[in-house]
Amino acid sequence: MQAILEHHWFSNAVVAALLLGSVALSVFVHRNELWRGAARELGRRRPVALGVLAVYVGIGLADSVAWVDGRMQGEDVVSAHQPRSAVERAFGGRPEKTYSRPFAGAELYGTPPRPLAFPGRHPLGTDILGRDTLLLTLRGVRVALLVGGLTSLIAIPLALLFGVSAGYFGRRVDDVVFFVMSTLASIPGILLLIALVMALGQGTLQVCLALAVTSWVSFCRIARGETMKLRELDYVHAARLMGVSEVGIVWRHVLPNLMHLVVITFVLMFSGQVLVEAVLAWLGIGAAGSWGQMIAQAKDELSREPVVYWNVLAAGAGMFVLLLAINSVGDAIRDILDPRTRRERE
Amino acid sequence: MLAYVVRRVAYGLVTVVGVLFLLFLLFFTITAPDDVARKALGEKAQQEQIDQWKRLHGYDRPLLPGPGHVRDNMLVEHFRRMLTFDFGRSDADDTVILDRIKDGAVPSILLTTPLFLVGLCLGILLSLFVAFFRETYIDRTGVFLAVLGMSLSILLYIIGAQFLVGKLLRWFPISGYDPDPAVVWRFLALPVVVGILSSLGGNVRFYRTVFVEEVNRDYVRTARAKGAGDGRVMLRHVLGNAMIPILTNVVMAIPFLFTGSLLLEAFFGIPGLGSMTVDAIDNNDFATLRTMVYIDALLFILGQILTDVSYTVADPRIRLE
Amino acid sequence: MNLVRRLVRWSIAAYAVLACTNDPYPSTDAPVKVLYRPFDEAPKTLDPAVAYTTTAHDISGLVNATLLEYHYLKRPYVLVPGLARAVPTAELRGAQTVYRFELLSDLIYQDDACFGAHHGGARTRPVTARDVEFELMRIADPEVNSPALEPFAHVVDLLAFRQRLTALRAADPAVAVLPVPEQYARARRIAGVAVTSDTVLELALAEPYPQILYWFTMPFTAPMPWEAVAFYDGQEGRPHLADHPVGAGPYRIVEYDKQSRIVLERNDNWHGARHPEWRAPGTVFPVDVPAEDLGVTVPNTTPGAPLPFIERVELRREKERIPAFNKFLQGYYDASGIVKESFDKVVQNDRLSPEMSERGIALRKSVEPAIYYVGFNMDDRVLGAPGGNRAQRLRQAMSLAIDAEEYLRLFLNGRGVPAQSLLPPGIFGFEPAYRNPYRTPDLPRAKRLLAEAGYPGGIDPATGAPLRLTFDTGDTSAEGRLNYTYYINSWRRLGIDVELQATSYNRFQEKMREGGFQIFNWGWVADYPDPENFMFLLWSKMSRKANNGPNTANYSDPGFDALFLRMKAMESGPKRLSIIREMRRRLEEDCPWIPMFYPEQYSLYHGWLHNVKPFGMSTPQAKYYDLDPALRAERRRVWNRPVLWPAFLALGLLLALVAPGIATFFRERQ
Repeated sequence: MQAILEHHWFSNAVVAALLLGSVALSVFVHRNELWRGAARELGRRRPVALGVLAVYVGIGLADSVAWVDGRMQGEDVVSAHQPRSAVERAFGGRPEKTYSRPFAGAELYGTPPRPLAFPGRHPLGTDILGRDTLLLTLRGVRVALLVGGLTSLIAIPLALLFGVSAGYFGRRVDDVVFFVMSTLASIPGILLLIALVMALGQGTLQVCLALAVTSWVSFCRIARGETMKLRELDYVHAARLMGVSEVGIVWRHVLPNLMHLVVITFVLMFSGQVLVEAVLAWLGIGAAGSWGQMIAQAKDELSREPVVYWNVLAAGAGMFVLLLAINSVGDAIRDILDPRTRRERE
Repeated sequence: MLAYVVRRVAYGLVTVVGVLFLLFLLFFTITAPDDVARKALGEKAQQEQIDQWKRLHGYDRPLLPGPGHVRDNMLVEHFRRMLTFDFGRSDADDTVILDRIKDGAVPSILLTTPLFLVGLCLGILLSLFVAFFRETYIDRTGVFLAVLGMSLSILLYIIGAQFLVGKLLRWFPISGYDPDPAVVWRFLALPVVVGILSSLGGNVRFYRTVFVEEVNRDYVRTARAKGAGDGRVMLRHVLGNAMIPILTNVVMAIPFLFTGSLLLEAFFGIPGLGSMTVDAIDNNDFATLRTMVYIDALLFILGQILTDVSYTVADPRIRLE
Repeated sequence: MNLVRRLVRWSIAAYAVLACTNDPYPSTDAPVKVLYRPFDEAPKTLDPAVAYTTTAHDISGLVNATLLEYHYLKRPYVLVPGLARAVPTAELRGAQTVYRFELLSDLIYQDDACFGAHHGGARTRPVTARDVEFELMRIADPEVNSPALEPFAHVVDLLAFRQRLTALRAADPAVAVLPVPEQYARARRIAGVAVTSDTVLELALAEPYPQILYWFTMPFTAPMPWEAVAFYDGQEGRPHLADHPVGAGPYRIVEYDKQSRIVLERNDNWHGARHPEWRAPGTVFPVDVPAEDLGVTVPNTTPGAPLPFIERVELRREKERIPAFNKFLQGYYDASGIVKESFDKVVQNDRLSPEMSERGIALRKSVEPAIYYVGFNMDDRVLGAPGGNRAQRLRQAMSLAIDAEEYLRLFLNGRGVPAQSLLPPGIFGFEPAYRNPYRTPDLPRAKRLLAEAGYPGGIDPATGAPLRLTFDTGDTSAEGRLNYTYYINSWRRLGIDVELQATSYNRFQEKMREGGFQIFNWGWVADYPDPENFMFLLWSKMSRKANNGPNTANYSDPGFDALFLRMKAMESGPKRLSIIREMRRRLEEDCPWIPMFYPEQYSLYHGWLHNVKPFGMSTPQAKYYDLDPALRAERRRVWNRPVLWPAFLALGLLLALVAPGIATFFRERQ
């Protein structure tokens, strides 16, 4: 299972699926009047943030397409037999021995410092192992999108399933779901996360799973409450009287009315996961290659003399810009879609 | 009323049972006690010593109830111990966990109380200020700064503060702790400031939304039409009416004052319950870890009950389903 | 107007808060001779029979005086008497080797509550040879679980005593709850430990084992009052013995807070303090070394002066290395190693940087008697003995691909000597001129050997892909990952694809025990300066898998074993050297390890700290140190003036940002 997930063909297939999915989504948004209006409004309000997000997604996708071509990267013989992504090919292949400053011609340390193999070719410098910081930062994009996206993709359907069934069917189902929810909610998130990662083992997928388990509860509660309200609406009663099946009602009348909440939650959850992953990385149980890991590694570098700031700065900036864009888009989406604020604006 | 309180408490107890069951799943079924013992006793431990250690720490029983050991098993023992606050000894160094909790609570409370109070007041004041100047550039800058602050990882806050304030400016010790009241504040000042700053963005944005919602209500317009001054409107009417969401936040946060902040304590070397938890993670000290999780959950459930009950006392119309 | 006044008052208050200091200590301690040191983790135990970590020995070594000590200044290490009157010599009595220890007379323990509990209000009592015997019995006691059992197994009847004790406890549960001395008496005393008077103890060994004397410099054999064992049992609010050592050393513990600080104060009952007129070795600063050989800054008045000079030793918890080092630079710790992150600031061209010299800091270097290595699992099908000649070539090729010097440069600022064999400098058998043919990096040769091994270009013919191996570690930290990536990248240049398996420490240990690993790295620090203490790491009887011993590579070679047994108890001389050379030759061909480096310790000392000399063995030397508190207070003040202007600048900026908005707002409303 793990082997399949890590195979580069799998990742290529996922990229293809994502591209197809987004085409389908944009067709849907274009056809639906309500969503088309919202999308337009969002484009009008947050053009820059949306552009930034598009760039991030582009980098993430480019880093997910990989192939084997038998060419070596520097002296690394094994790399000729291993798939490398488009981003690695474009920005990689310039290994040094150790730290160098941005655009430097020689290593940072040593008296006198040794010249670099590729002087002036590292716009963000190199890390302790001589890896190009720009490449590492760009590769962090994919990990961040994976952590934020995959977690939300696991957590939101889970929360919808439990929240809607609890809210719609009530009684026993509601009791059980509410019990599970309040149990999970009363354990402090970070401790539950740590316990889960210790139990599940390390790896990006495991981290996402643990994050999903700890984060579905809050949305589940919202979905449950909202479903309870929707269930009592007149047209839902009418549908029931007309003999529409329960599943049909949920599918046609409940879920579509929850979609705006799904979109809002997706955006808000995303930024939260990326921040939490950084803390996990500091505890040594984060996802491989994440910005959190770079920050955790670079933590001590600020105390170096001369100071090594570019790793922590690049990773911090990569993360910060992404989160800023997501948060500001999230704010706008909430304003546009949330009926309460919508009412106020009118 | 009484019936409601009883029902609420009973439900709290059910939740506690759920938490305990989850803890059992996570901490007893996944790692073999032999490994925990080996880690604690060192590589050279003999099997007899491992058995003795397992006896001492209560890991020598069968896992689940079964014929012949309906009561004498780890599941029942786990529930009995946790419910009677008999937490036993640490898996890593045999210290009595309850004693360590008593020792660690003081630094944690000293750290989190000012952090929480000052953070709350500052958050409310700033958001009142921003809400007062809504739709001006002060508001927009304020919201932008708040979102900016929220988008920075707490790791960066801590690392940056230690570097800037501790190393370059030398205002406070970079880290450490000394219980001596003459010097203790020197160690707490920087973590408190960092804690406040890192949570300020989120707080300001949250409270601003609450206040702006209030400001737009009819009664505020009425008050202003009657000629009440700006400051008076903001403080008396808006703040007063926004009290419920603020109080919810406050009551829910109080239990966590006791358990401290994991990251701040670990980075600044404050020997509170947060550091204790991080140590337990590093040492695979499951006994301490599950105790800390349990206590946190217990306090959280208690806080929830108090909030719900105080609502019904304050406003009898509010009843939770 | 009112507003302006209020603003002024507030800024004064703000200034009062900001007029802060980073001094972590109460100002009343400034004029006192207190030695400040950091510790990262409190020792799990200070029970001298059990404690085996550097931090534990740092503390228990000050509290528990030992029978023998190392000479503070002489190198190579020389034994001097501590509590004993003289260093004993081996006497042959029949088949047995006997050492006769005679204690100094009139030794007493530190004041402690445990004596009062058993002797009606007494505060202390004399140290006797019986207490040493008691401690030796504790080493044998399976319930104490002493790591020093193995060397003391040479003592006649000690293992039999251990079995008698176990049998006795198993047979009669009533015995197991008796006071410990009573239990030991019932199990009959150890025949090889004869106490002939209050001050004389004779130790009989079944076979020659000259290294046993070194063990008498470690706290394991320090005299232990049985009262302490009986009293500190963790019951009724009394601490465990593990947290409350009682000894006859120069210092005693007055505060033991594992979470934040440990404080030791001078012990007035120490024989050096009570009888300075004896001028016993180890109680006065040595005078028998010419001044130019000292290698330490010693004020003229010091040689021959009675010890100790330091009033109090305070250890403060510092979980992170870097803040601890920064506090050293600020003057709040008196001595420190150098964190790698600041190395280039502190050391330039292998000498102290001008900036540091100006501050009056001194640098001392010493190579530690320790070895770090990468090991192969010799039971592995691909890499180990079952792989035969092919695996041997593979190991040699992998060794040739690793450049220890570069590793040292990248990760340890070059603080270390690339290792050619497993014997570090300072240990008999180390030869500086020796070169291991597989430890000089040579990529073309490595590639040839790899092809000979059947993996041309790293391709495993069985899969058609690069040969896949795993490197196991229990270190999951981000920093650790960087280290391992260095090895992995080196091997990738051969075409070998090594995967890092960083698991929890538990899981790693389990793998090591079960033999389910291929490559690992490990370090070993000498217990005592003898080659036997290194060679036994590859002795088949010490195999990790078979016997849970320290031979983690599970190396097993009958030829090597035979040589080891011959070398083990031999006097160091030409004959021993030739055996060691033969052992070394076998290891270099077989290559069960890639010897990486011998760590080099760079220590920094502030100008106010005197008499310090780096000491490789983990016995604490603080009793020899001296310091100048006035100079320290002055330097701390100069180095730590806070920089306040940014606070005012930030405040000003904030006002400048907000004020125009407020002004416009009110103007518009009017």
